[in-house]
Formats: sequence, structure tokens, C-alpha cells
Amino acid sequence: MKVLVPVKRVVDYNVKVRVKADQTGVETANVKMSMNPFDEIAVEEAMRLKEAGIATEVIAVSCGVAACGETLRTALAIGADRAILVETDADLQPLAVAKLLAAVCKKEGPGLVILGKQAIDDDANQTGQMLAALMGWPQATFASKVTIADGKAQVTREVDGGLETIKINLPAIVTTDLRLNEPRYVTLPNIMKAKKKPMENHKPADLGVDVAPRLKTLKVTEPPKRSAGIKVPDIKTLVDKLKNEAKVI
Amino acid sequence: MASLVIAEHDNASLKGATLNTVTAAVKCGGDVHVLVAGSNCGAAAAAAAQIAGVSKVLVADAPHFADALAENVAAQVVSMAAAYSHILAPATANGKNILPRVAALLDCQQISEIIAVEAPDTFVRPIYAGNALATVQSSDAKKIITVRTTGFDGAAATGGSAAVETVAAQGDAGISAFIGREVAKSERPELAGAKIIVSGGRGMGSGENFKILEPLADKLGAAMGASRAAVDAGFVPNDWQVGQTGKIVAPTLYIAVGISGAIQHLAGMKDSKTIVAINKDPEAPIFSVADYGIVGDLFTLVPELIAELG
Amino acid sequence: MSYVAPVKDMKFVIKELAGLNTLNQLPGCEDATEDTVDAILEENAKFCGDVLAPLNWSGDVEHSVRHADGSVTTPKGFKEAFKQFGEGGWQGLHHPVDFGGQGLPKLVATTGIEMINSANLSFALCPLLSDGAIEAILLTGTEQQRATYLPNMVSAKWTGTMNLTEPQAGSDLSLVRSRAVPQPDASYRISGQKIFITWGEHDMAENLVHLVLARTPTAPAGVKGISLFICPKFLVNPDGSLGKRNDVFCASIEHKLGIKASPTAVLVFGDGKGEVGVGADGTAGAVGYLVGEENRGLEYMFIMMNAARFAVGMQGVAVAERAYQKAVSFARDRVQGRAVEGSAAAVTIIHHPDVRRMLMTMRALTEAARATGYIAAAASDAAHHHPDAAVRADNQAFYEYLVPIVKGFSTEMSLEVASLGVQVHGGMGFIEETGAAQYYRDARILTIYEGTTAIQANDLVGRKTARDGGKTAKAIIAQVRSTEAELAASNHADLKVICDQLGRASKALEDAVEFVAGSAKSDIRAVYAGSVPYLMLAGVVIGGWNMARAALVAQAKIAAGTEAEKRDPFYAAKIKTARFYADHILTRAGGLRASIVGGAEGVLALSEEQF
Ligand SMILES: Cc1cc2nc3c(=O)[nH]c(=O)nc-3n(C[C@H](O)[C@H](O)[C@H](O)COP(=O)(O)OP(=O)(O)OC[C@H]3O[C@@H](n4cnc5c(N)ncnc54)[C@H](O)[C@@H]3O)c2cc1C
Repeated sequence: MKVLVPVKRVVDYNVKVRVKADQTGVETANVKMSMNPFDEIAVEEAMRLKEAGIATEVIAVSCGVAACGETLRTALAIGADRAILVETDADLQPLAVAKLLAAVCKKEGPGLVILGKQAIDDDANQTGQMLAALMGWPQATFASKVTIADGKAQVTREVDGGLETIKINLPAIVTTDLRLNEPRYVTLPNIMKAKKKPMENHKPADLGVDVAPRLKTLKVTEPPKRSAGIKVPDIKTLVDKLKNEAKVI
Repeated sequence: MASLVIAEHDNASLKGATLNTVTAAVKCGGDVHVLVAGSNCGAAAAAAAQIAGVSKVLVADAPHFADALAENVAAQVVSMAAAYSHILAPATANGKNILPRVAALLDCQQISEIIAVEAPDTFVRPIYAGNALATVQSSDAKKIITVRTTGFDGAAATGGSAAVETVAAQGDAGISAFIGREVAKSERPELAGAKIIVSGGRGMGSGENFKILEPLADKLGAAMGASRAAVDAGFVPNDWQVGQTGKIVAPTLYIAVGISGAIQHLAGMKDSKTIVAINKDPEAPIFSVADYGIVGDLFTLVPELIAELG
Repeated sequence: MSYVAPVKDMKFVIKELAGLNTLNQLPGCEDATEDTVDAILEENAKFCGDVLAPLNWSGDVEHSVRHADGSVTTPKGFKEAFKQFGEGGWQGLHHPVDFGGQGLPKLVATTGIEMINSANLSFALCPLLSDGAIEAILLTGTEQQRATYLPNMVSAKWTGTMNLTEPQAGSDLSLVRSRAVPQPDASYRISGQKIFITWGEHDMAENLVHLVLARTPTAPAGVKGISLFICPKFLVNPDGSLGKRNDVFCASIEHKLGIKASPTAVLVFGDGKGEVGVGADGTAGAVGYLVGEENRGLEYMFIMMNAARFAVGMQGVAVAERAYQKAVSFARDRVQGRAVEGSAAAVTIIHHPDVRRMLMTMRALTEAARATGYIAAAASDAAHHHPDAAVRADNQAFYEYLVPIVKGFSTEMSLEVASLGVQVHGGMGFIEETGAAQYYRDARILTIYEGTTAIQANDLVGRKTARDGGKTAKAIIAQVRSTEAELAASNHADLKVICDQLGRASKALEDAVEFVAGSAKSDIRAVYAGSVPYLMLAGVVIGGWNMARAALVAQAKIAAGTEAEKRDPFYAAKIKTARFYADHILTRAGGLRASIVGGAEGVLALSEEQF
């Protein structure tokens, strides 16, 4: 079974993003970029399936600017067998990415697609579910455990207040949650091998996908600053503030 | 123009998140209908009919809706979509699971986790883990929206009297099956990724005394942490240490109990969204970073807090 | 995170100053393409930052512990981390593909040396010593010795040690006394005591491969009578499996000022322990195997010494970088005192001009030493791989001139930087748990082992300057002058200041070279009285030269780079750091020159009794 792993290039997890003065977005020039952390978990899960003899080939896919090739190299260095770059400078929104991925799925015919549950830049949490819809495949989102047997995937999902287990037919979509696994460190020999692994390049038009954005970003602003701390007189007030002002409980 | 809110429920009862979502739907303008897709979900539907501002409750009752499998619920929503300009679900695990599937089937770009409605087509949503807020305008014919519940007050749960209508249930897609559910284990989350952390310092006085923090942590689903002073004093194990040389954490809520706030400790938790400090020394540096400070004896305040949380 | 590798500066230096994209055109260096090197830096940075750096402080507290049976336990987490290090293939960065390495250029390996040492100096010493032992076997071992030891050493299943020092033989290895008696089966029996053996015993590897300097019974006295031997902890069976426990045991480990997680062992060879009994002729001792030819051990050591000294120099850069990062993060947080210009409330100390001065000193010295180290590494690569023999020779001379400077200057500056790091922290700096003091203590060994600064300076004066009449030194000064010309052609205010200071400093170095080369015969004590100042002067000027080159590149990027480059604050900061270096570090050159050229009198005048 082929396993397809879409990976996204995002501003590195450790970077504290700054909103641009003109409110058009956040500053991404000269900022360290990395693979979306949930996608690293996805690649790791695919590798484990391969090592367990379940996956025969792991294919990494990324959609976006040419530099997404670097992210794909990282996936190859973790162990993916080959990579597909769908290159475009367009502002890609999740629906467009899902359509591109659906086109790739139709070409490649994977038995399983593993995606990160969300990207840490737009925090949308949509692409996997959308891809499942477009393919007419079942989905198991927010996975913390995946077992494949008899043409089905049994997936434990992290849901509000606990865990839930479902069984879905293959081919299927799985999106990863943090606890699914702990991604390995990339080894030096695998970095060197990654150079020689094949990377295909496509354009959205080749795949017959219209990627025009549906959402227009009118502005991007800083969240309101933390108001200066106060001393509260009693526990009642404290709990009230936590519930209704800070809204953290 | 009307909005359809997908109810969050467990068949027997309606979940609070539905109320916040109704508020968001009201702000989008037009009538608000609520879909209760479930199995033997009459009670949940009846509760939905009570919500102030809801004009109609639609019930799709079938065994294959019992556990809110995305494939089945999404198909149900799509079958009803023609009548609506807005379809909303709370940004719960369930809503986040189902709604993007609906959006894709309707060829719409979902707007996730909105915290404000600026106009029927314009919404505010946090990006980059809340470090920036984006105001976005949708050009899609239908707006498919998940709602961050903390962004909207809940609609009144009673006072409404919506009509309850049964709608035709779509069939079972038959490609997924529910196996089981495990309610959250009482095991506490890991310090590093925890949303809430209850941390104790030297002021706890002993390892034994840390026990009084446990019910507080359990109540909040919080991880437990400690200052270096508490770890060095042997009150708690090393891996509890928050601070420059311990773990760096940034939960949404950090409750510092009996922690003076040495600079090393602050370095490890100062990025927390909301910081609460409980300390008997009003001059303790921890108060300079705390959003909410309370001066007093932790041995009386902590039990009070636990009681107040109910 | 306690350490974040300065990947951006590393990439900049590799690419813009050390010429990665020229280097990777050379035969044997083709794999070091820019994107591959980027990937290596990023992934190594993750491993060092996430896995090794967190063990730095705990290792210092726990340190390695020796047990009654001579075994040594490393601090918690070290063994697992070392396993990960090995599985990651990081030991093999620079070593030949034939033995399981990646055969990457020294330039690339140097970034790895820096990162791992920043993350955890104690830990990093183990692979560093293994590198030395691997080099030795590569250079002088037989086919069979290479096949027996290298694959397991390159994969870090086994580690290596360098057994040179004995109680009476430290800086002067000609005094080595350990004995090696030849046996009928061509092996040797080795007996004697070695001291200060870094990672001489530990629990992180299945086997340890000791490289030991010893004398055969027929050896002539002095430097020409020392041979080099392989002496494994466990003998290796013909099928590659581990055999008998050899007669080499750890008698004790030292209690040290720093690098406490790294066990520094007293090793006793031939104490009648282990499972190897006595030799066929009845001689007791550990079983050893000659590497290379008899009596040429010190000569081999000198060839390898360049690599080891270079690596220790990078340790200096590494610990300086870590101290700097810690100081910056503290200075951003610590609130104390009002601003001199007035402020409503107390400010973070990074606001105070003197804290700025300290941080800039730390930053400028570290960046300059990094640049000098990396261009030396690139020269070593060119010296090995360039097709043109003359180019190879020039690069070799350049590299050899720089090695004692990389070792001596970078480690001495690391003491200054780590000390400033403590100072920035105020009272907290003096408190162990803060961690700044550990860098200071750890750094303190760097100017001592692999040849003290004095020994480096002797090398720079004798072998590297006087011997060729200052030719190599002057060739470098000529390169500095051409950079000055480029600076002079610019209208940029900072570059003009840099040009000015660099001009004065290079003149000072020129004077010192004249003096060293010119007086080496006539007044040798006077020359050696200024040897360390001469080394420091060369370090100051070559560092300043590299900072000036960096500033020129940065200026070009800002003036004519891509849109992103023009706005990249990294380049503006580079120019200002170079400017700082010019005003605050290059200005030291004049003082050093005066000490070298005219200062011998005061150094040497007193009689021994007057001390
Ligand atoms: C922690 C640690 C780890 C070590 N690891 C190893 C190891 O793995 N393997 C190994 O073989 N050795 C190792 N060493 C030994 C180390 O290399 C020596 O200690 C070092 O070379 C200095 O030798 P010494 O201690 O005998 O000092 P000495 O040579 O006695 O030096 C004392 C002082 O005299 C000066 N001096 C000596 N000779 C001259 C000269 N000719 N001109 C000018 N000044 C001079 C020195 O600069 C120094 O200031 C280690 C030492 C330590 C402390």
C-alpha cells in the first residue's frame, strides 16, 4: 500500500511571529521556516507503517512556493521514498490544497493519506477532512493511535474529554494529533540519501485545479495586549475573573 | 437568509458549546435553525428548542448518527444545505471533524474558529496560535464556519420555543464504524504541553503539602509543576521543575502557588496566557507578572478555590 | 531552549567567508552542496539543542563516577544520548565513506564540532577524541587495523582515546616512559601509567580503542624513540566479535574544575588484571598493536595534532557562543536600575550601555573566532582536495599558520567571554545553578589541554613564523591589505572606521612578524617572551580581517541583494558587530605590538631568586 503524506512549510515553531506594520499579514521574510510539526508526526507515522511492512512506499507531497522543496527534502531525509511538489506562488487556502491533493491521490492511488491535523500558521484544521470529502473516503482525524489490518484502519482519536476509537475502510484519511508518536531525529546518512531521491514537480494547472482564494484577508492585527495585573480580594472574584474576563476556565 | 447551527450533544443532552455557536449565528443575521443529528436524540432536540433566538430545530434521528461519524453527519448537513446562507458548528473536536467535510462537499472555503462576526461575510479569527488576529471576508455563496466558543457568550438556554421538525435522515455511508469511547483518564497531562498548570513553590512547605494541589489540578485537568526551590528542597521530583533550567511552559492558565517568582522561574512561565499567583507576601515578585494575584495563606485559599470551582 | 545553534551565522560564514560554493566544486567535495549543508546544519542543530544541551547542566552536577572495579558510570541520559548520536551518523560526518562515514569536507564537520560542543562540552569530548583516534588509524594503520577498528568507531559503537600524557610527560612528550615489548606474534605488551585520559573509561560504548604512546626496549631516547600503539579495552576476535578483557584499567578519575561529566582517567596498563595473562615471553602487559612504524609515534601525533588542536579551538568558539546566548537572555529579563538617560521605572539591564558593551564584546569575539576557524577549515579542505599542487601547498601553509591561532586565540577569548557572561548575570552569575559559571569553569581547560597556549605560541613563533622567515604571515597580511583597499573604496561610515582600525592593526602585526622573524636568531628569549602576545595579536587581526570581510559582504547584500536580503536585520547587525570589533578589539593590537617588540626586558629581567 502506498502512503501519501502531505507536508506544509510554515514559520518555525520557535519563531515569535510579528504582525506587519501595514496589517497585511505577519512578517515571514527572513524568518526561519520548517515543516509543520503535526506533519512531522505524519511522516513519522508513515515511516513506522513502512518499517512494519504495511506501507510499501511513502510519498511526500507539498503545495506552495518553490522553497517547499526544502520541506520535502526534510521528509525525504526522515525516510519518505519520493516527493511531489505542486509549485505555485498563489496564496493557497485549505480547499485549494485539498483539491490539489485530491488530484495527486487520483494519480497515485494511495491506500492511506496521513496529514497533520492543522498547520501552525493558519490554524485552520481543514485540509484532511476536505480531502476525505473530495475523495469520498472515510476520515479519522486527531489520531493518537493507528492500526492497520484487513483493509481497515482502526484509529484512536483525541476528542473532547477523552478518546474515541473508530474503524474505517481503506483508502482513508488520517490526521495526526500530538500524541500519535514522537518523530525521530533525522540521521546524517538519510540526509545524504535524500539528495538522490526523486522529486516530481507539478503546477496546479497541470492538475486541472483552480486555486483561486475564496477568503480575502482584510487585515491582520496584534491581539489585544495583556492588561496590567491586578490583585483580587477573594477567591470568588478570582474564579469570576478567570471564567468571564480571561475566559481560561 | 438563514443559519444552520449543528448542535453539539450526546443524544441525551445538549452541550454548552451549542449556545455560543447560536450567538455567533444570530450575529450573522437571519433565522437560526439548529440541526440535531443523533440517535434517540429527542431530549437533546427538546433542549435545543428552548434556546433563545432559535426559530427551528431540525432532527435527523437514525442509529448511524449515534456517534457523530463525520461521513454520515456531513452527508446529512449537505442534504439540507440549500436553504442556508450560513452553516455553523462549534470548534469542538466534533465540529472540527465534521464541518470541513461539509465545506468541501459544498465547494466552500470554511472559516475556522471565528471569535467575532464583523459582517455576514466578514469574520475575525486567530492565527499563529493566537499571536495574530486575521479579519477575513468570504466570497463563497455559503459561509461555513466553526466558532471558538470563548469568543461568544452563550445564548440563553431557555426562553425560546422553537418548532421541532423531523427531517429525512440520509443513509449510512457504511465506510466508517464507531468502536468505543474512553472517558479521559484521571492521569494528568504532561507539563510541557498542558493547557493549564498548577505549580507549587517553597511556600508549600513540604512534599506532603503538595497533595492539597492535586484536587485543584484534577478539577482543572491541569498538569502539576514546581519551582526550583521546591524541587531542590526535595518536595517533588525533578521533572516537575518549571523555569530556565527546567521546563519552559506557556499554558493558557498558570497558577503559581507559594512561588515567590525568582527570575529563573519567571523565565520558564512568563509567556503563559493568564497567570494567577497565590502568595502570602504581597511584595513577592510573582505578582509583577501575574494577571490576577491574591494575597493570603495558600492553605486556606487553595481549598477555597477548589470549592469555588465546584 | 537552553541552546539554539546560530545556524544563520554559521551558514553566512560558510558561504560568504569560507567559500562553500567554491569548495564544493573540488573533487571529493561535490556532496557538500548548499542545500545539503543547510539540511545538515538544521538537523544537527535540532539534535544538539533538544537532546544534548539539556544534559549539560545535569551532567555537571552528577558528573561521571568510578566504581571499585574500575568501571565508570556516566551521568543520567548520556548513554542514551550517545547511542542516538551514533545512530544519527554524526560521528561519521567527516570520515571516509569506505568506513561508513559521509566524507564531507572539514568545513561542514566544523559546524558540527561547534554545535555539539556548545550543547555539551563534556559529552562532545568523547566523539572529539574518537575523531583523533580514527584519524590516527586512518593515517598510519594497516588495512587490517582499519577494517578491524574503523567501522565500529565511525558508527560510534566504539570510542577512541588518546593516551599521551604521563605524570612526568605533559607538554614535553619526549619524556614518555610507558613500555611496549614486542611479542613473537607481532603484538606488543604495554605497561605503564597514563594520566588525564579523557573519556579513558566509560559505559557509553561496547569497546574503547586506546591509542597509546610508548617506548620499545630498543628505542633511542627522546623524541625519536616513541611509538604509537592500538590498545583496545576488549581484544577483537578475527570474526569481529569482542574477546578478552585487556589489561588496561581505570585507577581513578580526576576531580576537576570543569567538564565534570567527562571522565578524566588515570589508566594503568599491565597491572596483571583482565583476561590476557602474560605474553609468550612472560612479559606482563596489555596487548597492543603497533601503528605505523616503530619510533615514529610522535611524528604521527604531530600530523594529527593539527586536527585535534583545531577542534579544541572550536570548543572555545562553542562555549563562548553558549555563554553569549545565556547572557543575552538574562539581560533581556533582568530588571534593575533606571536608564542613564532617565526612565519612569527600572529597565531591563540590556538597556544599560555597559551591559551592551559586555554583550557586544562577547558577540564580536565569538563571531570573529568562528570566522577564523571556518576559513581555516576551508583551507584545510583545499589543501587536501585542490587539483593544483601549488594551491594545495599555499592552503596547507595558511591552515598550519592558523591552527595555533584557532587553538590559542579562540580558547583564550572563550575565557574572556565566559567571564563576561558571569559578569552580565551579576550575583546570579556567581551562583552555580544559574549555569553561567559552568561555562566559565568548562572553558578553563581549553587553554590547557592539547597543548597550552604557550605551546601553541611556541609553535606559531618557531615552526610557523621564524622557520619561513615570516613568509606565510606576510602573505596573510597582504590579504588583509587587499580587504583594507576594498573597505577604503566604500563610502560607508562604518566600513571607513573598520578600514582605519584594521590598517593600524595589520601594521602592528607586520611589525611583530618582522620582530619575530628578525630576532629569532639574535635574541631568542626576547622573541619567546612575546610569543603569547604575538599569538593573540595574530588572532585579533585575523579575526578583525574576517569581520571586515563579513561587513563588506553584508553591505553588498543591503545595497544590492534581494528584497529580503536588503531588509534582513542580520546584515545590518553584522556591520555593527564588525564596527564594534574594530573599535574595541582591533584596538588591542597596538598594545600587544608594544609588548612583543619592546616588552621582553620586563618579562626576563628578574633573576629566579627575585620571584
Ligand atoms: C581535563 C584534562 C583532560 C586531558 N585529556 C588528555 C587526553 O585525553 N590525553 C592526553 O594524553 N592528555 C590529556 N591531558 C593532558 C594535557 O594535554 C596536559 O595536561 C597538557 O598538555 C599540559 O601538560 P602538563 O599538565 O604536564 O603541564 P606542563 O607541561 O607541566 O605545563 C605547566 C606550565 O608550563 C608551561 N610550559 C611547559 N612547557 C613549556 C614550554 N616549552 N614553553 C613555554 N611554557 C611551557 C605550560 O604552558 C604551563 O603553563 C588532559 C589534561 C586535562 C587536565
